Amino acid sequence: MSPVVAAIRKDLLLQWRTRAQVLAIFVFGASALLLFSFAIGPDAEALRLHAAGFLWLALLLSSTLTLAESFQSEMEQRAFEGLLLLPASPRALYYGKAIANWLQLTLVGAGLVPFMVVLYDAGTTRLLGLAGILVLGAAGLSAPGTLYAAMTAQARARQTLLPLLLFPLVVPVLLSAVKATSLLILGDPMGQLRPWTLLLACFDLIHWALCGLLFDRVVED
Amino acid sequence: MPGMGVGVIEGGWEFVWTAYGVSAAILVGYAVSVHVRYRAERARRRREEAPQGA
Amino acid sequence: MESAVDPRPTPAEGSIPYLLIGLGLALLLWGSGWGLFVAPQESYMGDVQRIMYVHVPTAWNAMLALTFAFACAMVSLLRGGWKWDARLEAAMEVGVTLAVLLCIQGSLWAKPTWGVWWDWDPRLTTTAVMVFAFAAILALRRFVDDPVRRAAWSAVAAIIAFADVPIVYFSVRWWNSLHQLQSSPETVSRAFHWPLRINAFGVLFLMSGLIALRARVAELRLRDELGPPLPLPAAAQGGL
Repeated sequence: MSPVVAAIRKDLLLQWRTRAQVLAIFVFGASALLLFSFAIGPDAEALRLHAAGFLWLALLLSSTLTLAESFQSEMEQRAFEGLLLLPASPRALYYGKAIANWLQLTLVGAGLVPFMVVLYDAGTTRLLGLAGILVLGAAGLSAPGTLYAAMTAQARARQTLLPLLLFPLVVPVLLSAVKATSLLILGDPMGQLRPWTLLLACFDLIHWALCGLLFDRVVED
Repeated sequence: MPGMGVGVIEGGWEFVWTAYGVSAAILVGYAVSVHVRYRAERARRRREEAPQGA
Repeated sequence: MESAVDPRPTPAEGSIPYLLIGLGLALLLWGSGWGLFVAPQESYMGDVQRIMYVHVPTAWNAMLALTFAFACAMVSLLRGGWKWDARLEAAMEVGVTLAVLLCIQGSLWAKPTWGVWWDWDPRLTTTAVMVFAFAAILALRRFVDDPVRRAAWSAVAAIIAFADVPIVYFSVRWWNSLHQLQSSPETVSRAFHWPLRINAFGVLFLMSGLIALRARVAELRLRDELGPPLPLPAAAQGGL
């Protein structure tokens, strides 16, 4: 079995065993969505207009929890060093973790969508498009996020450092995903969805390659 | 249309002065801070490595 | 020089950085004086346009500093060497300082011109994002105690942050273009070139001197961290 597949299997198994955490993260995201509406006020028009932004902000905040958790088990009992001693390259470990995080973020995002629909009256019939944006956006958060989670898991002040490092980097993801989701909810008369989706896909491609390339420098001793 | 030498924006000198003032303050302030840190590190090095030398 | 016996960095001595800083400040004084008092008023923006004489040079050099930081990160990762890590730290700190200054200048230009302190101009917004990105890497350096790790991680983070810059710029430009069609202060007509050039060189020399000096500070701290050998008791020092 290829090392990447083995790594993916390991991390998915890990996530399945700790699925209560995913539920907790989802609840966190949902409460964030609720809090955003309190911050704006019960103006239905304004809420609908900004629903996409709230969804992605909630997902971004939830991602810090997902990403930090993903290396938690590795840090306990020095499992990380054990993993690195295996003949599998660190790159395989990275992609395994990143894919598992990607899946978790997509699921959390998908879970938040009905919340968004109900709270902000922000539904869309283009469900396939929405699913696509969720998948691409989650991928954009997961790639750099997994790399920085690996770094900060080994540093002090890790809870502050991860969002500090990650948030400026994922600005393009936030912009594109919010824009694209907004177009799906509010309508897209000028056909701008494709370019934003392409931008998101470009970001994903670049970062999945670059972060994978640089990962062994992050975990070497 | 405004004539030559007369801008659409009148005055605004307070912004110009503030911009130049802040630029000077930050650039000079940072330079001083680097200088102070350099002197401190050099003094520390001289202190710590002196007993080993001749 | 680093040697096999003592791998710690040895910072250069000498006053070249101070000369550069002094020269830079002198040029800035000359160029700013020219731009403030001698250069003619711009036909549409009036006197507010004079902010350009510091704003544009700061913009060029902030980008230059962070590009140099990226180069140092590449060398540090590919070739190694403590000097390059020290230069990376210096270039990032100077770059962030210039970028923060850039955002302040941009605000002071925007308020009288557009009536708002921040107009989401793509270049300024990208600069703001870069301030946060590189400031975060400087924060990362503070929280990592192992110098080898610190060097590797900052280099990786700097490379990713820098690679992100064009994407951030492009996405913000696009995002903004759907709402506003403002022209930004980029074209400067021929009459205003000299003060701009003088100030550009002024900031360039100042920046170079600051990076060189700050790199020495970093090297001295590294030297201390990598630890001198403990001094032997006086009697045993005869053979040294």
